[in-house]
Amino acid sequence: MDERELTARVKLGDEVAERALYDAHVDRVYWTAYRMSGRHDLAQDLTQDVFIRAFDRIQDYRGDAPFGAWLHAITTSVVLNGLRKVKRFDQREAVLEEAGMVTSTNREAEPDLKERLAQAIEALPEGCRVTFLMHDVEGFTHEEIGAALGTTAGTSKAQLSRARAKLRIALADFAGEWVQ
Amino acid sequence: MTDNNPNDDILDERIRALAAAQYHAPEGSVPRDAMWAQIAAARRAARAGATTDAPARDADVVPLAPRRRSRTVVFGWGALLAAGLVLGIALEREFLHKEGGTTSPLPVAVLPRTDSAPVATPAESTNTDSVRGAAQPSREATPSPAPKSRDVVQPRATREYAVTEPRALPDVSDSTVQMLYRTAAIQTLVQAEAVLTAYRGAESAPRDPQAMQQAARWARDVLSSTRLLIDSPAGRDPQMRTLFTDLELVLAQIVQISGTPLQARERELIDHAMRDRDLLPRIRSAVPAGLATS
Repeated sequence: MDERELTARVKLGDEVAERALYDAHVDRVYWTAYRMSGRHDLAQDLTQDVFIRAFDRIQDYRGDAPFGAWLHAITTSVVLNGLRKVKRFDQREAVLEEAGMVTSTNREAEPDLKERLAQAIEALPEGCRVTFLMHDVEGFTHEEIGAALGTTAGTSKAQLSRARAKLRIALADFAGEWVQ
Repeated sequence: MTDNNPNDDILDERIRALAAAQYHAPEGSVPRDAMWAQIAAARRAARAGATTDAPARDADVVPLAPRRRSRTVVFGWGALLAAGLVLGIALEREFLHKEGGTTSPLPVAVLPRTDSAPVATPAESTNTDSVRGAAQPSREATPSPAPKSRDVVQPRATREYAVTEPRALPDVSDSTVQMLYRTAAIQTLVQAEAVLTAYRGAESAPRDPQAMQQAARWARDVLSSTRLLIDSPAGRDPQMRTLFTDLELVLAQIVQISGTPLQARERELIDHAMRDRDLLPRIRSAVPAGLATS
């Protein structure tokens, strides 16, 4: 059964078709959510929300684009909103924690490359970070990113360029050996 | 800013490869079944909501925001209904209580009071039934036509009586109360199905004690609603009552799970109870039936 037929049956309330669509796309949705959040519990909650929202709005899917593209637009929206909420919560927690301790982060030992990379990616502005992860890591096209984020392909290209430049600067210590 | 370093492409490619391999790289497996259990439960709840909301939709009431049927919302709604259920039962018992004190033929044990016999304090009389006990002091404070020379002992009998010989609620609140019970019963069954499905999912991955612990937590929430429903007018329907009793047994077994990997014997007992009683199919068939009657 092809995807067009599956979506048509989901629109009629067919639970088996829902499960089939879920099975076909859940891995990509889950790993995208995990890639953006870095937490399995959050990825699980976000993935559930993505599919619940997608099935709730299935009548809006007209079938003129692949179902995957439509679903990933929902994924991006759900994941970004979810992360914003978590970030607000984490910031509040961090303020409370910082109030009780003396900061000494810069005096710690030099983190290894993996840590530096993670820090550099997380330090990117949200638009740059999401674009970098979606394009360079998850393999979305600029058109797909633009559609998912509600911007244009040109904006996506500009965001990616900024993200790469910032990462090159942040990881400049390793540039020498990489180029060699 | 504008000058391009020839090494940039090499660096970009290196960073991209590193990020793909190391930044929150996929590890482990996707918990497909556990997530599907939640999604299916939410979808079912959404469908149930759509059926009961049908008149509202006909009236062109446009929802302001899309429905978010996450497990938190489903269980939060369940908690609200449970609270309503408690209130309903308290009201019902209060009505029964008052009628029993005046004209009702309730089988209340009446003991002759002797001067030497100590008068039962409210605290003593509430040992067996806390809901009734809560109403007792206020009832004693109001003048009652019952003879004061006797102690009216109201034991657990009320519970059995309410089940075997149902009494109609006052006409004024009957339809509302019945509707509340019916909605609560359906909601509880929907939740129960989610819990049992989640338990099955967790059971298939016994190395994940967290999932099992979560199933046990949900089961505890649903168990309390189930117990209340058995005592409520929803439990007067013999079919529903049997279903709730079977469900109570299985939920109680799941609640016992400590979060450590299940012992084979425990698992066997729960599986046997579920299979033997056809619990999930009965719950699934009861939900549309309940909706149809509502």
